[in-house]
Amino acid sequence: MYYVYYLLKPGYPAELEEPGMNGMDKGWSRVLALGAVAALALSACGGSTATAGPKSGGTVYLLTQADQFDQVDPQRAYTGEDLAFFSATIYRSLEAYTYSPDNPTASKLTPDLATDLGTPTDGAKTWAFTLRDGVTFQDGSSITCADIKYGVSRTFATSIINQGPTYAIAYLDIPSVDGYIKDAAGAAKKSSSSAYGGPYSSTLGLFSDQTLKTAIPNDTAAYDKAVTCSTDGKTITFHLKQAVADFNYTVTLGFSPVPKAADTGESYGVAKPPVASGPYMVQSYATGKGGKMILVRNPKWSQASDSYHHPYPDQWEVDFGIDAKVIDQRLIQSTGNDQFALQYGGMQPENLATVFTSPTAVNPQFAGRANSSYDIYDRYLWINVVKVPNLQIRQAMAVALDRSALRKNAGGDFYGDYADGSIKPNIGADYAPTGMWTTLLGQAIPDTGDPAYAKTLITKSGVAAPTLTYNYPDTPVNGKAAAIVQASLQLAGFTVKLAPLPSGTYYSTVFDPTKAGEFGMGGWGPDWPNASTVIPPLFTQEGGWDLSQVDDAAFNTEVKAAQVETDRAKQSTLWQALNVETMKNVWVIPTFFPLAQGMMGSKLATGTGPTGGLYRWGPYGSNPYGDMLVKP
Amino acid sequence: MVCLIILIAFYLVGIFGPVIAGMFGISPYTFDPNAISDLGGKPVADFGGITLAHPLGVEWGTGRDILAQLLFGLRISLIIATTATLITVTIGVLIGIIAGYAGGITDTLLGRLMDLILAFPFLLIVLALSPVLIQRLTDLGVPEGNVSRVLYLILVMSVFGWPYLARIVRGQVLSLREREFVEAAVSMGAGRRRILFTEILPNLWAPILVYATLTLPSYIGFEAALSFLGVSVGEPDKTFGKMLADSVTYFNVVPTYLFIPGTVLVILVVSFNLFGDSLRDALDPKGGH
Repeated sequence: MYYVYYLLKPGYPAELEEPGMNGMDKGWSRVLALGAVAALALSACGGSTATAGPKSGGTVYLLTQADQFDQVDPQRAYTGEDLAFFSATIYRSLEAYTYSPDNPTASKLTPDLATDLGTPTDGAKTWAFTLRDGVTFQDGSSITCADIKYGVSRTFATSIINQGPTYAIAYLDIPSVDGYIKDAAGAAKKSSSSAYGGPYSSTLGLFSDQTLKTAIPNDTAAYDKAVTCSTDGKTITFHLKQAVADFNYTVTLGFSPVPKAADTGESYGVAKPPVASGPYMVQSYATGKGGKMILVRNPKWSQASDSYHHPYPDQWEVDFGIDAKVIDQRLIQSTGNDQFALQYGGMQPENLATVFTSPTAVNPQFAGRANSSYDIYDRYLWINVVKVPNLQIRQAMAVALDRSALRKNAGGDFYGDYADGSIKPNIGADYAPTGMWTTLLGQAIPDTGDPAYAKTLITKSGVAAPTLTYNYPDTPVNGKAAAIVQASLQLAGFTVKLAPLPSGTYYSTVFDPTKAGEFGMGGWGPDWPNASTVIPPLFTQEGGWDLSQVDDAAFNTEVKAAQVETDRAKQSTLWQALNVETMKNVWVIPTFFPLAQGMMGSKLATGTGPTGGLYRWGPYGSNPYGDMLVKP
Repeated sequence: MVCLIILIAFYLVGIFGPVIAGMFGISPYTFDPNAISDLGGKPVADFGGITLAHPLGVEWGTGRDILAQLLFGLRISLIIATTATLITVTIGVLIGIIAGYAGGITDTLLGRLMDLILAFPFLLIVLALSPVLIQRLTDLGVPEGNVSRVLYLILVMSVFGWPYLARIVRGQVLSLREREFVEAAVSMGAGRRRILFTEILPNLWAPILVYATLTLPSYIGFEAALSFLGVSVGEPDKTFGKMLADSVTYFNVVPTYLFIPGTVLVILVVSFNLFGDSLRDALDPKGGH
């Protein structure tokens, strides 16, 4: 997930925002369900108010700086915070994560639309999921295999349904076809795509020859073979290209059902409310400053059909376009409706000292209402290896960088720890220290940078210190960070030009090699607790988030080997080794493993948090939306 | 008089800013990690980090000296405002004189041109089109970065500022045109250019001068407003407006970030205004307009 920058925009790609995948725990969800029912039953029998169970009711307000959700379409949403919110409210999927403040527990899958955690066969190349009884959309119609199949098919229409997770395209057993497309100048360019192009068109966007006259037809039969439905419409089977041991994690992303009749393509979810399958439905959605999205209870959702969701609030109101500083102030004051408010993003650095006495301790005045812990994102500076091909120059850049000043600027101890790679410790077994700042660069590098050693590296490289253009999303904090980057690299002899970009279009600009600079800010979070969602996206062209423009054939082969490895322990060692390799090559300069701080109003609580307090939900590094309740 | 001295002092400080900063041993580009705390990036000392080493405090998170930023920022603000004023005055006077003296169709057309520019939603254009237009300037060959940004600000303020002065000048010229000495010059066969520049222009200096000294501070304030809204020089340079914009974030925690640049800006603008007022009183004994 990428890192969004207006604070941190969630998304797996960072808006710049748990380990222990233990295979399938079939009994877990049933235990949870029984436990929840028991707790509610016990709490219902009279007794002390101190142990009263979660009561239904109330409205929870979600205060957001953005003017709207990035995407409301279930196949296009990719922002971590949004995915967490939608999976708790309007979109059900086959599997989901557990609500728990304990990271390893939270990272365990819980069946949502499915009856269990899926059945892999054929060495995990085929996965079958059986749907629960009684699951319906908000209009009362049943959710069937065909609806999920249709939802997943939309991902393939990449020109319309874009910016979402593309695992369906990467994993489903559909061949690729080669052809030609029109490039920016109008000439024919070789390209390839999946043979299936989505449910909207009878042809692919690809032409069969250089005359660009005959479009290649859309192979819907291939899709029909890859995703099959049983005759009773209750079992969906996915046939994959290669073994994917954790495919039941993949189905948490972009595999929600969409009824074909209600699909409006690009405008789905925006022009009209999307069709909800979860305990809430969208009543209204107005974007911009002062805009709101109001969710009310879905009358056709029933607790009997759902052992995963426990929707306590009656209503959710998402308020858009509020200044980030104002959000902090409102939550600190916590009066009126703000007592029932939660913040979508993190807290601003200048307010941290008011709410926290240390990075791990909350000021007693705000006990239970604030939380500071690791989110899932890492931060790094990507280096375009095509524009900076010399390894020693990239090493010199990493050596010269004053990471200590960057950390102080971002909030010091509150900000987080120094990173040594793109895999973060809280992912679990896939993390191991890489030795980046101790041995990999030839000697130990201090946090403040070592301009003298950087100069020797530049001399060793045999080329002159180049002029580098640094991209970053244009915010005041990033601007100061850019000044620090510029000053520290210039001490080593580089010339650094600053090229800020508007936050909203940052990623679309830096993905374009003609517009991007030599290096820039980046951030990423794993899509689920496996480094298979970190290393391939960031360092292979196929992965889709290769800002460094790395395309190393030998590396790609090693990545493929790790992806198909079904022995989880062995896979972890492979990811650790690949992480070290990316650091040896300095394809990115790892900067930080950030902490994230969040707050909620005084009248909100969580169902499972310690004494009902706020916690950060491990799977998406987000608020625990499905666990929120209004204090009675 | 007092104002004049203050203004001259400001200009000297603006010109010699880097030298003065050197004398204090401060710089707006060096980071002082010891002046800010590890817990959040807040300045260690009170009032935004005021110590002997940093007389007006340090910036949050980076430790850059505020006094040094003010000195360097003053220079940029004065450059922009002074240049814009000079260009505005030149264009405004020229067009005003031509419109006023020529009369007829020329006057009508120029008058409509002035109306058009005055009616433009100036702020919207500046804010919305600034990245595009700065890019155009860079394409035309202006060096990238702060040079093109500063040039853009100067051009924008001049292009939208001259109609005000032009109107005033035109009014003055219309009344001067009918005076006896002008008639005398015409009857003696003086050419149009001689009349404009030798007879009429010398009588316009008073209002032009007054207008210029009143426009300059408005341009300083304007540039601060534009910087506040995001159209400004880039990091690591700062202007008053940018410092004010950044200070809003920290207002609850460190109010001096707002008050110090704000006070300096107020003193500068008020000095110019008072100077302009006293100039007007001095040059126009009948009481201005």
